[in-house]
Amino acid sequence: MLTFIARRLGLMLLTAFVLTFVVFFLTNLPPNLEKLARSEGSVRMTDESVAAWIEQNGHGGSVFARYGQWLGVVPGWTRTDDKGVTRGRCIQPRQDPAEAARFCGILQGDWGFSTFFKKDVLPSLSEKLAATGWLMMWVMIVMVPTALVIGVVSGMREGSRTDRVLSTFSIASTATPEYVSGVILVALFASPVTGLSPMLAEWGWIDGRTLFQGAASPDRITFWSFTLPVLTIALYGIGYIARMTRASMTEVMTAQYIRTARLKGVSFGQVVVRHALRNALIAPFTVIMLQFPWLLNGVVIVETLFNYKGFGWTLVQAAGNNDINLLLGCSVVAVFVVLVTQLISDIGYVFLNPRIRLS
Amino acid sequence: MTYKTRAAALHPAAKMHAEEFAAGKISRREFLTRTTAMGVSAVAAYGLIGLPTPAQAEAHAKVGGIVRCAMEVKGTKDPRLADWPQISNVYRGWLEYLIQYNSDGTFEGRLLESWEANEDATVYTLKVRPGVTWNNGDAFTADDVVRNFARWTDGNVEGNAMASRFLGLVDEATKSLREGAVVKVDDMTVQLNLSTSDVAVVPNLADYPAAVVHASFVDGEDPSANPIGTGPYVPQEISVGQKAVLVRAPNHNWWGGTAPLDEIHYIDFGTDPSTMVNLAASDEIDANYETTGDFIEQMETLGWQRKEVVTAATLVVRMNSATSDLYKDKAVRQAIQLAVDPAVVLELGYNNLGTTAENHHSCPVHPEYAELPAQVINPANLKPALEAAGLGDAELEIISLDDGFEASTTAAVVAQLKDAGANVKHTVMPGSTFWNDWQKYPFSSTTWNHRPLAVQNMALAYTSTGSWNESGMANAEFDAAMTKALSLADADKRREVMATLQSILQDEGYIIQPYWRSLFAHVKEGFNVERHPSNEHHHYKWSLV
Repeated sequence: MLTFIARRLGLMLLTAFVLTFVVFFLTNLPPNLEKLARSEGSVRMTDESVAAWIEQNGHGGSVFARYGQWLGVVPGWTRTDDKGVTRGRCIQPRQDPAEAARFCGILQGDWGFSTFFKKDVLPSLSEKLAATGWLMMWVMIVMVPTALVIGVVSGMREGSRTDRVLSTFSIASTATPEYVSGVILVALFASPVTGLSPMLAEWGWIDGRTLFQGAASPDRITFWSFTLPVLTIALYGIGYIARMTRASMTEVMTAQYIRTARLKGVSFGQVVVRHALRNALIAPFTVIMLQFPWLLNGVVIVETLFNYKGFGWTLVQAAGNNDINLLLGCSVVAVFVVLVTQLISDIGYVFLNPRIRLS
Repeated sequence: MTYKTRAAALHPAAKMHAEEFAAGKISRREFLTRTTAMGVSAVAAYGLIGLPTPAQAEAHAKVGGIVRCAMEVKGTKDPRLADWPQISNVYRGWLEYLIQYNSDGTFEGRLLESWEANEDATVYTLKVRPGVTWNNGDAFTADDVVRNFARWTDGNVEGNAMASRFLGLVDEATKSLREGAVVKVDDMTVQLNLSTSDVAVVPNLADYPAAVVHASFVDGEDPSANPIGTGPYVPQEISVGQKAVLVRAPNHNWWGGTAPLDEIHYIDFGTDPSTMVNLAASDEIDANYETTGDFIEQMETLGWQRKEVVTAATLVVRMNSATSDLYKDKAVRQAIQLAVDPAVVLELGYNNLGTTAENHHSCPVHPEYAELPAQVINPANLKPALEAAGLGDAELEIISLDDGFEASTTAAVVAQLKDAGANVKHTVMPGSTFWNDWQKYPFSSTTWNHRPLAVQNMALAYTSTGSWNESGMANAEFDAAMTKALSLADADKRREVMATLQSILQDEGYIIQPYWRSLFAHVKEGFNVERHPSNEHHHYKWSLV
């Protein structure tokens, strides 16, 4: 077990190393550096000024050396300008350059400075991750029970009318991407000019102008503002998990031991709860754990749509502004989330299915 | 707020303008812009034409309250590098300007009490406002003004938006402030000695990158890190992409008295205006930065007040004779220009949210605007003119952005040219590729922003050496007249030259410039928030009703 976990952690470090280098390389392509120079300097800079800005702000030289600086194995760049002012990667504003550390990379615990947020990457990222954590928690709370109930109920009696209705619902919901369902939900429930809200407001059924809010904020998590974003992400996952649960459930329901149990006179409800459920939940468990990385993907769309300032929104802003340090931080977090949830799902297997051994 | 201590200092042209106003030759707005640009205070200007100064809002405004305004919150940066008005609207809380451009077209001294220009606009005398203090207790003096001029004129800083605006103060060799160009006469007086005439000094000092910073400001630093300024507010929180909160500066005796609002919150809603409408509907904001297109109507169904301001912002659909042989013939250009009815373009392309223009890029809100006889629109002449030039079958391709009013306006121009019998094709491009070659397209549309003086845009776009010349126009007579116009500080004398400039530009036929855009914003009932032509937020004018 321990060697398994150790191996997984090693794999995680290796993946993070490779991925961050790829991200670093891509964000340091000359056109991306120009974009950064223009957003940091001025959008109306001349091409010569852009080249000078790139050179003077530590983005010149070999890409490997700069990656080494980010890792913390190469000393941070410093530059003294004509006026005798020394700036550098490791020199804080208003700090004496002589006192600054020589190395300041991820190995020293320094995640760098985010050019978009204008503050350090680590506090910005942890704040945004917490915001996304709240969103994900509510998505999970809504999605998992709903999906399992739908899947189990439709898988209990394959081909029945209930099964057909629920299957149609799950296929429809999983076939609708977030950027479609989100827009439809906003138009239906959260617009003051279209959909249901103007009607309801006219009838006096709602106090405000809209039934739900079309924008969410981590500062104020309310039923009113959170319903639509949570529903948008959950709808997609519900259909998918429900289909997986149904498939697994129908397979279990045709197994020999279920027939035996029925034949010996156990009631249908007892058979489902006592005999079928645990075996039928192994496959959905993997799918649910796989939903975590998928959620990181889904929140990119939903957070942008609902203007919710979380991890997905941060990723979009970091990419849009070519914020190198922030993007690298996001990559590390993404690798961590994907591999840790996979680790948990592998370990969870052992407990659900005694036939599986990890080592 | 503004007062003049020495009545004798009135510019000689001011009285003349007053007579013109009395004779109905110029509008109140033109009168104010012209006289205040010469250094006459707004109070004196209003006095000259026998009008009381409009009561300043803060004089009897209710003190207290918060305004939440929807606006993109970008990272604050060294003001001279600021490239968006949104950036400046945040630091305007604590950083102020020497001169301010008001929404009625006047220039008002803020940190300057008054200023005077000599006859040929080469020497400006700036009088510092007495009694102004920084929020750390230091007094604001002439030294601060001189130091800021040195910052603005430093051309060695990449992206310094101010450097190219004071070329008359710059030493070309060192690309920094010329010795003796900015002189401290005494503690309260600064003299600018320009090497060439420049009428744009005043508007440039009022533009958003020209915020005045304290001696302790480290060049290149984020001004919110150590917010020492003269203004009434300080930043409490600036979260890029999320929100910015300005609160009253503690222990600071602002020279302007008491600003009405306790706090100003900027809420970033992303780039989708429908989110802004949602925020307005759910009472998350009280005002917005700008309302565009269809959203104007949506905001009005919410019961918000419309704030409109006429500006010299426009869209120019221009031909380029330098990159295309089709448009080398002046008669062809003129026929194309006169085949397009500006009123129709305004209606179809911009929903009538503006006023029609006269194909010469000088707007009635500009102080030096000269009225020319109206052009005769004559679509019937297009076909014969094209055939006469041997272009009867030639395909004219007009390029525009793929979305927004740029696309619909260009489409309206294309439709009218088609109706007049020309073979026209409309090609659209996304913004990511359109702007790469915007100056080189044979026939395309370009947005132009509002600038306080007409000569500012014209010098950039239509002189043969203009850095933003996109038409290939090279008219020696026009260039000579422009050089002359740029040396006339007196807007009225400049207007005589302007008439020449405008008629040459019209006659050359390079541009179809159909309308002036009005800009809009919306404010919830119960709030006083002003709309400014350059999107500036003068927080001290805001209040609760």
